[in-house]
Amino acid sequence: MTQEFIDKVSSYLTQDISITPISQGAEAIVFSTTTHPYLPETKGSREKYIIKYRPPKRYRHPQIDQALTKHRTLNESRLLAKLHLIPGLCVPQLIACDSYNGYIWLEFLGEDLPEGYGFSNLKNFLWMHDKDPYSDLVAATLRKVGRQIGLLHWNDYCHGDLTSSNIVLVKDGVEWIPHLIDFGLGSVSNLVEDKGVDLYVLERAILSTHSKHAEKYNAWIMEGFEAVYLEQGAKGSKKLKEVSKRFQEVRLRGRKRSMLG
Amino acid sequence: MIVSTIPQFPDTKVSISFFEQVGNAEEIRSKMSDLSTSFAFVDPKMICSQEQIYSAIYKTLIEVNYNKMRTRNLNSECVLCLSPTSNISDAFQKFGIKDDSTELICLKFHNDTDNLNKEQLTTELSSIVTGVEIEFNDKNLSKFYDETLIRKIYKLNNQFKPKDVKDLSRALVNAIQLRGI
Repeated sequence: MTQEFIDKVSSYLTQDISITPISQGAEAIVFSTTTHPYLPETKGSREKYIIKYRPPKRYRHPQIDQALTKHRTLNESRLLAKLHLIPGLCVPQLIACDSYNGYIWLEFLGEDLPEGYGFSNLKNFLWMHDKDPYSDLVAATLRKVGRQIGLLHWNDYCHGDLTSSNIVLVKDGVEWIPHLIDFGLGSVSNLVEDKGVDLYVLERAILSTHSKHAEKYNAWIMEGFEAVYLEQGAKGSKKLKEVSKRFQEVRLRGRKRSMLG
Repeated sequence: MIVSTIPQFPDTKVSISFFEQVGNAEEIRSKMSDLSTSFAFVDPKMICSQEQIYSAIYKTLIEVNYNKMRTRNLNSECVLCLSPTSNISDAFQKFGIKDDSTELICLKFHNDTDNLNKEQLTTELSSIVTGVEIEFNDKNLSKFYDETLIRKIYKLNNQFKPKDVKDLSRALVNAIQLRGI
């Protein structure tokens, strides 16, 4: 099944562009490549790029399938373009978008962590620091993660699938700069519900993978998150109150809203 | 002159020439109806990086191969693809050559079947443009672009403060990739 898609992608890209599959989700397959889609001098350089491909689903009517793929590819690309304009927010750069075939080219972020801890997403980073979980580096990084989410929500965007593996850390000297990735389920939304759910999903993700220190971790994230709102003055603290209140409610009932009443 | 190919479309070549101290912009513009079939003339005031031009070239080939051609040929399509809007005449007014242009970028798409002869092309161009050819690179482009104008035409809001040319260029690539779809 997957091989079929890999062959399809290869024939779309021609043999000049070699690809390595990285991961597959329900909707898209992600590849990495060393070839830039259009800049000439990168040939042979060690720079990497991401190709995100949404393959057609055979259980859908072809016309509907095409429309959906186009819509979703564009939705994600548009979101990334808008988020890039927000000062301080870190998201991957959109390099190219072919919505007719369901392809997005993105900047490659992150690196492999030392000692076989895997790719530098937040999840693996926390595993790597499992022995010194309360170090300043961990605290600072998690506060920065919180800031990113705060900035996203303050500007009325929601991620939709905020897990610790969708937060990639990019090394800058001794610091780690968190970047939010995968906006496939992202949306423009001013609903406190969506924001509450984002926070809840991340809290649960951290709770399930790093339960021993989760309380402290989540507190640091919320510190960073709140800081963004509090910097905005009275209006910010009012909105923060609304989001936190809903977050508590979501925490009690779970992600899915009750269908009763 | 630089000749490049987009890896995904190996059958198409694009030649790019960059001129400064152009003295006959008005004359070129008056001959536009004949010339527009063979070249695209772009005003470097609107271009801040190579990335921006190449991004539009890529977009042109995607549109023409997988959607449809909206203008008469690939060269004119590329000017349209530079623009953040789908209005063709608007794109030409803003991104094309102006009467008082003193710098110029000339673009031409070549099919694999065309015999691309660099010398012949240079001669052809020098008979059209009176100016000094300079290398098409980011350093030279950075001398001529007009950030205020670019921000206005690409409708970048005031909240966005690019750190450097690269950051600005990225915002333009986003706009180019997402135009009109």
